[in-house]
Formats: sequence, structure tokens, C-alpha cells
Amino acid sequence: MKIAVLVKQVPGSESPLPLVSSQDWLDESQVAYIMNESDNYGLEEALQIREKNNDGEVVVVSLGPDRTQKVIREALAKGADRAIHIQTNENYPTDPLAAASLFADALKGEDFDIIFSGLQSDDLGYGQTGVILGELLGMSTATLAMATEILDNKIKVKRELEAGYFQWVTMSLPASISVQSGCNTPRYPSLKGIMGAKKKELNVVTPSVGDQNQSIKKIYAPNTAKETVMIKGSVDQVVEKLVTIFRNEIKIT
Amino acid sequence: MHDIYFSFAEKIVLGLGIILCLASFIYEVMRRLLIVFKGLGKLPFDRTGARLWRMFREVFLHEKVVKGRFWPGLMHAFVFWGFVIFGLVTLEHFAKGFGVTLLSLKTHKVYTMIVTPFSILVIIGILALAYRRFVTKPKALGKLSPTSGLVAFFIVVLMVTYLIGEREIPVFLWKINWWIHSVIILGFLFLIPRSKHLHLVLAPINIFFRPFDQPDHSTVNIDLEASEEELDDMLAGLTKMTKNQALDIFSCVECGRCVDVCPANRGGGILDPKHHFILDLRQPLLDTKDVDVLSQINVEAGWECTTCQACTEVCPVGNHVEKSDEIRRLEVLVEGKVPQEYQKLFTNLQETGNTEGATTSPLADRLPKFSSDKEYVLWLGCFARYELDPEFTKSVENFTKILDVANISYGILEQEHCSGDPVNRLGDKLTYSMLRKHNMEQLSEAKKVVTLCPHCALNLEKEYRKYDTVSYTVEHHTQVIEKLIIDGRIQVNQTAAGKITYHDPCNLSRMLDEVDAPRTAINAASDNFIELPESGKNTLCCGAGGGLWWKKETTGRTHLVRAEQVVESEADTVVTGCNFCYGMMNQGLKPLTPEGRNEIQVKDLADLVAENISQ
Repeated sequence: MKIAVLVKQVPGSESPLPLVSSQDWLDESQVAYIMNESDNYGLEEALQIREKNNDGEVVVVSLGPDRTQKVIREALAKGADRAIHIQTNENYPTDPLAAASLFADALKGEDFDIIFSGLQSDDLGYGQTGVILGELLGMSTATLAMATEILDNKIKVKRELEAGYFQWVTMSLPASISVQSGCNTPRYPSLKGIMGAKKKELNVVTPSVGDQNQSIKKIYAPNTAKETVMIKGSVDQVVEKLVTIFRNEIKIT
Repeated sequence: MHDIYFSFAEKIVLGLGIILCLASFIYEVMRRLLIVFKGLGKLPFDRTGARLWRMFREVFLHEKVVKGRFWPGLMHAFVFWGFVIFGLVTLEHFAKGFGVTLLSLKTHKVYTMIVTPFSILVIIGILALAYRRFVTKPKALGKLSPTSGLVAFFIVVLMVTYLIGEREIPVFLWKINWWIHSVIILGFLFLIPRSKHLHLVLAPINIFFRPFDQPDHSTVNIDLEASEEELDDMLAGLTKMTKNQALDIFSCVECGRCVDVCPANRGGGILDPKHHFILDLRQPLLDTKDVDVLSQINVEAGWECTTCQACTEVCPVGNHVEKSDEIRRLEVLVEGKVPQEYQKLFTNLQETGNTEGATTSPLADRLPKFSSDKEYVLWLGCFARYELDPEFTKSVENFTKILDVANISYGILEQEHCSGDPVNRLGDKLTYSMLRKHNMEQLSEAKKVVTLCPHCALNLEKEYRKYDTVSYTVEHHTQVIEKLIIDGRIQVNQTAAGKITYHDPCNLSRMLDEVDAPRTAINAASDNFIELPESGKNTLCCGAGGGLWWKKETTGRTHLVRAEQVVESEADTVVTGCNFCYGMMNQGLKPLTPEGRNEIQVKDLADLVAENISQ
């Protein structure tokens, strides 16, 4: 079983997010980057499949400038066998089709059985790269995976639907699957893993970034406002109104 | 009965009996000691005077045995003192069997007058202990031990046969009596090394070698440039016990005091220090005849530990009980199995140098910065700096107010990182070494460091010293405050209202050995100070130690047990000297306070002193 895992380096949730003066991107020099959360779960899923089958290869693939190698090393330290870094300059594509095309070019000769990606990136959040990549490489695709099970030349995927419902789908391999956070328990890199990661193969490819179908014009922080609603009436009326609000607005199920 | 004749046959039987039982005794003891000698490191002989003094107090005076459980402890002391006195009796007893007279008739009579009351005390002691073990059955003693019953019976028979032997009775009865006494003593030689009664032999030795510092875990030096073989050697060493640790395992008397005081256990957790940290490792040592057994520690139990050292403090046979460090470092460094909330904590520390992953600190921005002309580095710690409890900011400012009143110059380090306490305790020694190296550079110009956080103080003062030469000294703020009061540099008035109690933080009392300073300061500010039931070095952990502050989901009640004691004390104010304890009390007390009672005030010592200071 040959598995690719797409990982992305994204700003950490506690990181400051200052903008450049042109307001179309972040001032990256001040950003603290981490591995995208759901990608970490995708990596764990791949490692567990390899360990369960006692055979196979997990290849971590990332797209971005030099700083990206930090998350690649982290993935190698956790147990990926080798890595491909699709190296770009600071103007890496923010358009999921352009990104997926670069991944497709880098991966098409490799014949992966499975490509895992995170459900979505925590910075741009399109949630499309893994699906588009699957289409470009002629693979089955599934999103929002909560669990996977390898069958003979097939993969069974538990997908998260809305309102607490799940769906099991069985697809033929090869498949590109995007993974939901929380579907497994990601490991921590052991000391041996950290030391060994330095010696693992890291293949750097530098394709030319083609045209993008979309680009970012302006970034700004959303305005936040507090709104307090007083609910008046008898206890029964207040309770009834509260229940309606919980159910329909806050959507507690 | 001074002139009894033993036949040659009797002497042969006696001689063979002694040789066989003594040989079996020596064989069993040596078997265990040979395993101990395979342990890493050396048995310490430094500070011999202090070690002997400690042995005298804890072995001969039974200090810890009696302090931990007064009545059972006293009963045990009766038995112990009886045994000491009986040393000469036993020698005389066997000498007589070979026709040798050790003591003159007159000396013997005098000695008998001393021994007789002791033999009565031994009988009282052992019967009381047997009653406790087999009738009251306290939980901490664990499963009923038939060996203990047998030993109690043996001891009673020994005493009774001794008393009978000192009376004028027919010779054949006297001889039967003498032989019963002899067989039981020889039986002891057989039984002792095979049971927990080996503590008779090993506890005094173990108390002598006990480390002075607690916690006392071996250092983990990680060299990221090392070769694969060097790394493998280092990792392989992590599963091996030290000589001290192995000696602990064989010295354990299974009394369960460590279980009684364990906050995780009392809070409903699975951690049972007696089994998980000690007895679980005994059979693997014997089976493998080696010390490579630390991976046998129960992992789940290991993560529950608050590293408070209550178990180590209370152990009457000198064991360093706590071994969460040993199993956690294996889980983190070797296995890479780390609970998710701690992975987040570790990443924060690696990326930002603080536990919260924060990038700004309003408090640090307000405070003066350190320069070499200032007396103290004011070490904030992440708790204060990043407002883990926003109310604690006030306590820091109260402490700076005290320093200002006393005209003491201080400043914070702009590039202060976490002291590394959470990662040190949680086993991530790699991140710990990163933080430690960074902080050592930041502290290069510091001469004196003061901090409100005992966890930081312990690391900066004691833990860093295990790795580096440290040129600064560290004081906890309660120590600085005490000194200022004693030197008259601040005037504190006894104007604090209401009943005040004090919660000793584990890191301050047990690990930094400071219990007096905060009490001096409280008594300066209040005339109504009461102690909690467990105080001083026998304090009960608030539940936040050992990195557990960051444990998000706790099923147990570890964090509530101490808060309940504070509520029951009926105090109006609880003072503490640790930011984590402060935060735990602040969270824990409110929901526990009964309706109709005023909310218990939680204060850092600095708050209490600053509120009652003369400007």
C-alpha cells in the first residue's frame, strides 16, 4: 500500500496575523506556522494503515516556500518514510485548482493507492485540493472521512454528514480522501523519530506555477459586535423562547 | 536456670540449623543485592554525618513511622525497640545451646529486668498491629497477608517462650521451650528475605542512601548531533533503574502510607503508588535478575501523578516512591505516545517558549525590565505572565508594591521563556533542554532571582543545577518577604480580618524545603491563623502539579480534595504561595462552599502582606 499524505503549513491559532501594507496577504515574517490540524489526522490515518498491514510506504507531500520544510520534517519525525517538497517562492498558489495541479504533476508518476489530505486548511479553508487532485489523477474521492477500512483493492470510508448522521461508502482504489479532525489519535514524534527524520529522503521539485483562476485582492479582520437580547415574560415563556433559540439559532442538537 | 546441659547431638542439630538458615538468609539477601548493584549510578556516601543523623531519627527514633500514623506507628516502635533489646538475648540464647555463657549471672539478672518490660511491650505492639491488619483492615494495607499473620504469631511465641525461659520450671519443659524459641528465630531467618520483612535488614540501609533532594530523577541529556548508536544507548538507559531505585523496591514494607497520601488516588484515580511505582517492579527485577524494568510501570497511572512527592515524603523505609518521570519520559521520548492536550502544550513551548502559545503579555509590558544595576530578576513564569488566572496579576503587582516599599530594585527578563517545569515533569526532556538553554543565556547577568512560582523556582534553582553551572541564587517571594519583615525593611500590621489558613504548595514545602517563611509573614499580618489538617511537608497537592494543570479532561476529583479541606477548615481566607495552587483554589472553592457561607477569599501571600503593610 503506497500512501501519500498532503500536509500544509498554516498560521497557528494563537499566532499574530499582521497584514502587509498592500493588504493582500499576511506579513509572514511575524507569523508562527504549524502543521494544519486535519492534515495531522490524515498523516496518522496513513501511518496506522501502514502499521496494520506491516507493509507499505507513507510519503508526505507539501507545497510552499522553504519554511514548509519544518512541517515536512515533523511528518517525517512522526514516521512518514520520505517526502516530496513542491517548492515555490513566496507567491505560492492560493487557488485550489492551481495547487491541486501542481500536486498532480508531482504525484502522477508515483501510482499511489491512497492520497490522504486534511478536510480543509485552517488558513484558506477551501476544502477542495484533495478532491480536485483525485479527479485530476482519475481516482475515487471522498471527503469528511471519520474512519477508513481497507478491503481487497477497495476502501470503506465513514463520512460525516450533517446533524449527527454518518455515511459508509466503499470505493475502489486508488482513492483520494480528505480526513476530518478527531478521526484518530495523532502521535507525537519520538526522539528516535526526530533524529531519524534528518536522514530520510526529501525530494524537492520546483515546478513553475501556472496561472491562477482566482487570487486574493484584500484581507481584513471581520468586525465583531456584541449583541445582548433580553428575553422577557413568565418563566414558561422565557424557557420556551430559550429552547427555540437553542434549537434554531445556536443549533444545539 | 543457668546450668542446663545440651547433648552433643543437640549441639549438632542446632549448629546445622543455624548454618542452613543463615546460608538461606544470606543467599536470598545477596540475590537481591546483586540485582541492586546492577543498577545505574552509585550509592551516595556524601554528607555522611547528615545521613547517619537521619538514620538515627528515622530508624532508631522511628520519626516517620510514628508521625505518619501515631498509634500503629507507636506499636511498631514497641516491636522495633524490643527487637533491638533482644539482640543480646538472642546471642546469649544460642551461646547457651553450645554451652557458652555470655553474661554473668548478675548481669543476666539486670538485663532480664530491662528486657522483661520490653517483651510485654512487644506483645502489646504486635497484637495491636495484628488486630489492625486482620480485624480493622485499613484499605491501604491491601490484600490480607498470611505471612504477616505468621510473623505476628512467631513474635508472640518468641516473647512468651522468652518469659517462660526466665522462670524456674522443670528442665524438660525448659528445653522444649528453648527449642521452640530457637526454631522460631531460625524460621525468621528463612522468612525475612522472602517477604516484606526484609525491611528489617534493608530499611536502615535504604534510609542512609535516600537522596536528599526530592524529586530525584536522573537527568536526560539529549545531544541532537549524536550518532545513532549513542542515541540508542541513551534511550536504552531510560528503562534501567538506578541502584537507589532498585534498593527501594526490595525495601518496601507494603504499609500503603504512600497510597493514603496520594492526591490522585484520593481523587478517585487508578494510581496506587505502592503497586504502580514499587511492587509491580519487584517480580520483574527478580525474574530478569536485572534492572531493565522501568517500562513495566503502568502508563495510565503514570500520567495521573501530580508529582507532588507526598508518597516519597511519607515513606517510612526511605523510598523515593514517585516514578511518573521515568514512565512519562519513556512514553514521550521512546514511544511518542502523548495525550493530545500535552502535544498542544509541547508545541506551544517549542514555538513560542510559553505554555499558552501567546505572543503578548500586558503585565510584562507594564513591569520594569532587568538591567545589571538592579538587585533582583523578577521571574514571572507563564502563569503570571500570560494570565492563566487573570486575578493573579493583582498578586504580582502586590509583590512589586512590597518590593517598592522596601526600596528594592528589580526587573523582568523580556525574553523569559517557560522554566520548563511542565515539560520536565511530563517527560519531554528535549523541549526542556531547549527552554533551559534559552533561559540560562537570559540569566547570564543575573545574581539574584525572585519568583512567585515555586515550580519555576525549583527548576531554576535545583533542576537546572543538575545540568549546568548556575551562578545566580533563587529565592521564592515568600522567602524575600520573610526577610524583609525580619530585617524591618517593611512594617506589616496584624490587621487582617477573619480566620486565615495556609495551603502549603508541594513545590515550596517538600521540594524547596520552605514551610516557615510564609507562616512568619502570615502571623505578622494576622492574629487568627489556623493550620489545615495536612500541612507543612505533609501538605496535600491542589491537583495541578506534574503538568496536570493542562490536562483538560479529568474524570477524577484530584483537584477537589484539597479544596474541600479548605472549606471544612471554616477559614475565611486561604493564603497560598503558588500561582497554580491559587488558580486551583480560585476555581475549586466557589462551587464547594455551602450556601449561606461567605465566599472563601483566595490570596497569595503577597496579597495578604501588601494589604496590611505600612506605607
